[in-house]
Amino acid sequence: MKPAAPLLLLLPALVLLPLLVLLPTLVHGGGWDLIGQFLLAAVQPSTDPVVLESLVRGLGITAGMALLGWCASLLIGIAAGLASSRLLWRTLIGHSWPAEWIRRLLAIPRSIHELIWGLLLLQVTGLQPVIAVIAIAIPYGALVARVVSDLLESLNERNLQALMAAGCAPPAALLSAMGPPLLPGLISYGGYRLECALRSATLLGVFGLGGLGNELLLTLQSLQFHELWSGLWLLLAVMLSLEAVIGALRRRWGMPGRFSLRAVGVGRQGRELLLAALLLVPLVFGVGRALAIEPAALLHWQALPPLAPAGWQEALALPWPGLVFNTVLLTLLAAALAVGVAPLLLLLVAPWPWGQRLLQLIWAIGRLWPPPLTALLLLFVLKPGVITAALALGFHNLGILGRLLLEGSEAAGPQRQEALRCGGCGPRLALLYGRFSGLARSYLAYGAYRADVILRETVVVGLVAGTGLGSQLNQSLSAFAFDQLLLLLAAYAALTLLGEDLSDRARQRLLQP
Amino acid sequence: MFKFPQSGRERSAAVLVGIGLALAPAAFPSLSPALAPLPAVQAQQSSKPVLRISAIPDQQPEKLNRLYGLVANELSKQLGVKVQYVPVTNYAAAVSAFRTGNLDLVWFGGLTGVQARLQKPGAKVLAQRDIDASFHTIFIANAKSGLKPVTNVQGLSQLKGKRFTFGSESSTSGRLMPQYFLGQAGVKPSQFAGGAPGFSGSHDATIALVQSGAYEAGAVNEQVWRSSLHNGKANRSKVMAIWKTPGYPDYHWIAQPDLDKRFGKGFTNRIQQAILSWRPSNPEQKQILSLFGAQQFTSAKASAYGRIEQVGRQIGQIR
Repeated sequence: MKPAAPLLLLLPALVLLPLLVLLPTLVHGGGWDLIGQFLLAAVQPSTDPVVLESLVRGLGITAGMALLGWCASLLIGIAAGLASSRLLWRTLIGHSWPAEWIRRLLAIPRSIHELIWGLLLLQVTGLQPVIAVIAIAIPYGALVARVVSDLLESLNERNLQALMAAGCAPPAALLSAMGPPLLPGLISYGGYRLECALRSATLLGVFGLGGLGNELLLTLQSLQFHELWSGLWLLLAVMLSLEAVIGALRRRWGMPGRFSLRAVGVGRQGRELLLAALLLVPLVFGVGRALAIEPAALLHWQALPPLAPAGWQEALALPWPGLVFNTVLLTLLAAALAVGVAPLLLLLVAPWPWGQRLLQLIWAIGRLWPPPLTALLLLFVLKPGVITAALALGFHNLGILGRLLLEGSEAAGPQRQEALRCGGCGPRLALLYGRFSGLARSYLAYGAYRADVILRETVVVGLVAGTGLGSQLNQSLSAFAFDQLLLLLAAYAALTLLGEDLSDRARQRLLQP
Repeated sequence: MFKFPQSGRERSAAVLVGIGLALAPAAFPSLSPALAPLPAVQAQQSSKPVLRISAIPDQQPEKLNRLYGLVANELSKQLGVKVQYVPVTNYAAAVSAFRTGNLDLVWFGGLTGVQARLQKPGAKVLAQRDIDASFHTIFIANAKSGLKPVTNVQGLSQLKGKRFTFGSESSTSGRLMPQYFLGQAGVKPSQFAGGAPGFSGSHDATIALVQSGAYEAGAVNEQVWRSSLHNGKANRSKVMAIWKTPGYPDYHWIAQPDLDKRFGKGFTNRIQQAILSWRPSNPEQKQILSLFGAQQFTSAKASAYGRIEQVGRQIGQIR
């Protein structure tokens, strides 16, 4: 038995029930004064010129890193995405097994958080600005690859088969039949990755580059809320304007929503696209020069410090089942929260015109605050543990998924919802059945991608969650226990593969009703 | 396929949007005129060597920026070479960057200093503050936790089953030594509530989290605890000290082994003499010393940190 589409959308929100039961036992409430200080500081950000100067410089570095990391990840992602497409291999050589293998292999780079990639690269190449860019490009490239190959699989193959039947050579047939319908989804998703890259570049600050993340992290650790807010306001302004520009371009170029898989013709403004792409090239080189990015530095490898002889036994003796269980629990809780609460909140506020604005504001805050900040704020009033960590991760990802859902529902058009309203339906039911039901499958499929990301992000809130792969990873990094690190990363990769396999099956069921 | 814009107006609009898209992310780098010079790379490229200094991140950021700007200026003046401060936000990253030779002179903590010297044989311990020879950790507790001040290390056994947080994983005063003393009282990390201690990430966060009650107890650096009491960040009615550890050596300056080769004979010695010469009578040096919270620097020996290494091995932070 399959639940009806609109209910499917609300299913993940069931996670709220156990959470609401458990939450009262977690409240200690001793830090409301600190929360108050934090909120008060929002209206009195520091205007010390020393602070502002280093923030603005940091922002420049962060934006530059984001741009370069994004460009590199798109290049890697498109190439790897094509290489892991079953359709492509089937058309070219008649078998799809290379695609399966490449897909599996790509789970490894994707399963490791960019911060960890950075610290690992630092071990072999030394403190080089280029590793900040590569640290973003590797996991993002692998993620883009997955989306590209999934997009390709979901496209209609009729044109391809027609061209092939007419005797067209396979490469040419692939390019003309699949290229144009792939483009809109790709560009839409690519724009979204730039927003993500800005958030990631903000978290990366360890590379001797400085950057806004550096400032935010240090002000957070020393609880300098006034200085912290100066950075947050600056980041908010940049984040919202970037989102607005990308959104405007998507509408202008007739892009479909980012998780909509329906085929839409090529953007009308092809020339603009081409021009923008051409302008990116000198820009990337300029930024690369300004940040002194030297790809050649990646080739000078240095030996790792020697491993402890008894290290492997120690690494195997870690409490693996508990670590894995807690990490999976944290990921599932956070993902269900983020995926389920977004539509629920939109439905709740549907009758009030200001409700949606309020939600947009809260979601922007969710995207803005790095998860470690939210985790620290939550700790001021809640006891540490998996649930507190899940709330922090869930809030951040709710901000991202909520915005996507809203965009998707705007793109879906108001006709059906208005028809239901005119038919006498209440505002909530009209929204649920008129707009959300059509989006449910693609939204949930997108939520499955997001769960991948949340698994990686468990590293950054590992310290709140108590025991888990994330906190163990931080612990092993601080002891330079490379044997433990290797096993931990393997565990992350295995979990990612498993999750991907499950979500692939779920997607296939969801997208093909 | 592509439908190109026909009219001139459409075309110019297209160009404008294209430029807008391309420049949107770049507008921000261009805002900052002095886009951070990249210390790590620059030094390798230029013919004149640059002394790259850094510090583990355990201070307030505006203080770090001010402090290391001043230190760089002062060292540059005294040594006659260009000195650059490289910010690093992660303890492990500071150690690794020292191993890979990207940092020349680093202000390390006790544990990170030992880790750095083990990974980079030949690195030299130059100096410590007057307070670093015998540094202390303060165990603190929330007033409502029911924990009582104790007079000896065995009293720490009351922390079993409580929610407890350390500072950063690599901190000597916030993690290594407190874990060692807890071990002497028979408390294993797995015996805290939740099966593991927390790692708040910094001394300031430890104080705030214990004061709020998220954790019932924690361990902090004595210097930070005192200044928090002094500036009112720590509220005596909500959080109290329950035990002060015996002294152990902590923070110190460590230099790369090859500085004499790169900067000229006796250069490492000159750095050491420069740091040791700072006195409160000189206005700039007075600022540096007061930001470091010290009267002056004294020379330090690697052998003084033998005990830290021993404890580090025992706890598994050094392998």
